[in-house]
Amino acid sequence: MTKRKMKWFGMAMTGVLAISLSACGGGGSNSTNASGGGASEPAAGGGDGASAENVTITFQNIYPDASDPKNQMLKKIVEQYESEHPNVTIELDSLNTDQQKLKLKTQAASKEVPDITVVNPAAQMQPFVDADLFAPLNDMVEENGLKDTFQSGILDYYTFDGNLYALPDGNNIGVVYYNKKLMEQGGVEVPKTFEEMIEAVKTLKSKGIQPMVIGEKDSWTGSFLFMNILLRTNGGPGFLQDVLDGKKTFEDPAYVEAIEAFQQLVDAGAFQDGATSFDYNSGENLFKTGTAAMYYMGSWATGGIETAEVSKDGNVGVFQFPTVGGKGNPDEFMLAPGSAFAISKNSKHLEETKDFLNYFMLNFPKEAFEVKGAVGIAQNVEGDFKAAGYSDMAMNVLDLFKKVKGGDLAFDNTMNPGTTQAHLSGTQSLFVEKKDAAAVAKELQAAYEDNK
Amino acid sequence: MNVLKVSRWTIAAFILPCLIVYVGLVFVPILVSLYSGLLDWNGIGKSTFIGLDNYVKMFTNDSVFWPSVRRTFTLAGFSMLVQVPVALLVAILITRFVRRPNFLVSSYFLPVILSVAIIGQLWKTIYNPASMGGMINGILTSLGLESWTHSWLTEPKIAIYAIILVSLWQYLGYHILIQFTGIQNIPSEIYEAAKIDGADGFKADRYITLPMVLPILKISIVLSFIGSLQSFDLIMVMTGGGPAHATEVLASHMYNMSFITMKYGYGSAIANVLITMCLIATVLINLLFTRLEKRYN
Repeated sequence: MTKRKMKWFGMAMTGVLAISLSACGGGGSNSTNASGGGASEPAAGGGDGASAENVTITFQNIYPDASDPKNQMLKKIVEQYESEHPNVTIELDSLNTDQQKLKLKTQAASKEVPDITVVNPAAQMQPFVDADLFAPLNDMVEENGLKDTFQSGILDYYTFDGNLYALPDGNNIGVVYYNKKLMEQGGVEVPKTFEEMIEAVKTLKSKGIQPMVIGEKDSWTGSFLFMNILLRTNGGPGFLQDVLDGKKTFEDPAYVEAIEAFQQLVDAGAFQDGATSFDYNSGENLFKTGTAAMYYMGSWATGGIETAEVSKDGNVGVFQFPTVGGKGNPDEFMLAPGSAFAISKNSKHLEETKDFLNYFMLNFPKEAFEVKGAVGIAQNVEGDFKAAGYSDMAMNVLDLFKKVKGGDLAFDNTMNPGTTQAHLSGTQSLFVEKKDAAAVAKELQAAYEDNK
Repeated sequence: MNVLKVSRWTIAAFILPCLIVYVGLVFVPILVSLYSGLLDWNGIGKSTFIGLDNYVKMFTNDSVFWPSVRRTFTLAGFSMLVQVPVALLVAILITRFVRRPNFLVSSYFLPVILSVAIIGQLWKTIYNPASMGGMINGILTSLGLESWTHSWLTEPKIAIYAIILVSLWQYLGYHILIQFTGIQNIPSEIYEAAKIDGADGFKADRYITLPMVLPILKISIVLSFIGSLQSFDLIMVMTGGGPAHATEVLASHMYNMSFITMKYGYGSAIANVLITMCLIATVLINLLFTRLEKRYN
């Protein structure tokens, strides 16, 4: 009997041990590595005398490129935090933007969102918020004065029903970069109006200079430019909101006019041949290698263009997108509140994760400033950009930021995905086919009603 | 039947792992997808059961669906009616005229090994406008045929054919290898006997090679058809379905709907149509070849 009792006791103890082991290893919130972690973690835990629970936080991010300053900055802050909190391990899951979007959707479908993930503002976040996947950060953002580091109003794009769900890493505007040397060769000035821009395009084209480039295979690029034209033809921001509120339709003259203006630009030969087969990067590379005179893009491109060959001797300048048909105010910009960090509601270590993200965002502006990545971030930066060695072009962009008097968000940040896709392919078709502007607008209106 | 005299349980034990993996990775997802196809679901939030609405919408009110189906079948048609016969011809010629055929067959096979992403990028460069260093347009221009130049991947009417060509080029070697192996397996005595009877050259091919290689040809055709229905990666790399859906096929349409437009239920419905098409086509092709084989036996 006693022997059998001992056996049972032994088994019970083994069970207890197993549970405690898996509790230790369970820190790897990813269920897949829980068993692997269980085997290796106890050794470390035993050494500590189990003073603090070991915690692993999965940090999904979109800074995968080791040569990108943001990646280095990310690793630096993570290392600092880990050395201050020896019981916390931050596991980085660094992915390309598109991969990350896809992975998050897949994870969200099975409710396995990583502790920290990346989302896009406003309408793009909505489905995730509706599915109740993210933890509200209202209390966390107040700690250590984090909230005050953000530019005023920026957090609104990540707030739903009074709850803040994500903290942005960027805040950008749409600008036109131009190659000074090529503009000079073509004998054209920086255009003050859209009509001048069309003329400039024609002049450059006739002199064999590629006027503009775009990576239209990723159709959001054309849409971003188109929306800036719409911001002008509409005489101000808020067109899409008016559509959503039922005050306007896509068949409104402002939208049709924007299509016509866009067609003029295409017809004038502004963009490179085969533009719809160039993805975002290869389109931008054409400008970076100095083959094109002008390039419309969000100010996030500043860092990349700054370090490219074309920027030698301050050769690249920026200007505001001009008025179209005498309408609009150039001080209204396309606004691009950046991707943002959100915390999973089901995170096993919610408190630790919040604490880490708070630390991360507090250090973000300072570190970004140091690696010259502070143009277009969502937080206020202290420091003298000029003295820190930022280029003239970066200074120009920063000056433009000061001029911003409101503007519009990109199409996909305002409308649902179904309507967005219809808009994107409609805009893309303008590059390859001669189409009646009213018909394009009508098609989009139909798609909008269909997707309501 | 049970030659090895192994107990049924042992057999079951050995089959089980494979069976579980197969059922888990093939049948369960198909069932799940059949169910998802009946939902109005964005893949994340709440779903509503809407019966066959997705299918009704797909067949009657989706301007991208039918053109995608047409393009998918165009690709399949080219693949079955051009690629496979050409592969057979090349395989026959190689067997007949080349003494050490292995090197040649391996060379033809090379593009199959390469990643589709690489092939896509390579051909994108070849198709580029002459001003961007595109090879085809460059050659046409230097021959004085400027009027023939196109921006191959961005003109809606020809873009899909430009992609089909690449796909045919890439997998030609695959079919050559399959059929070459099939021809190699035909005993040479048959040809010798036929030669005595006066059947030589292409006559021998008509009456010996073709009937003997039929089962292999069937495999080739089935593979090429299913491969065409599933074609996705090349299109994603080269045009992403654009410009304005001009190169969209079923698989890419499904992907866009499920993951970009976030209509997961609708995407699943498209996937189910795709599966059904694959099944029907496989059955039809099998029937056809059973008949052909009967005729030759």
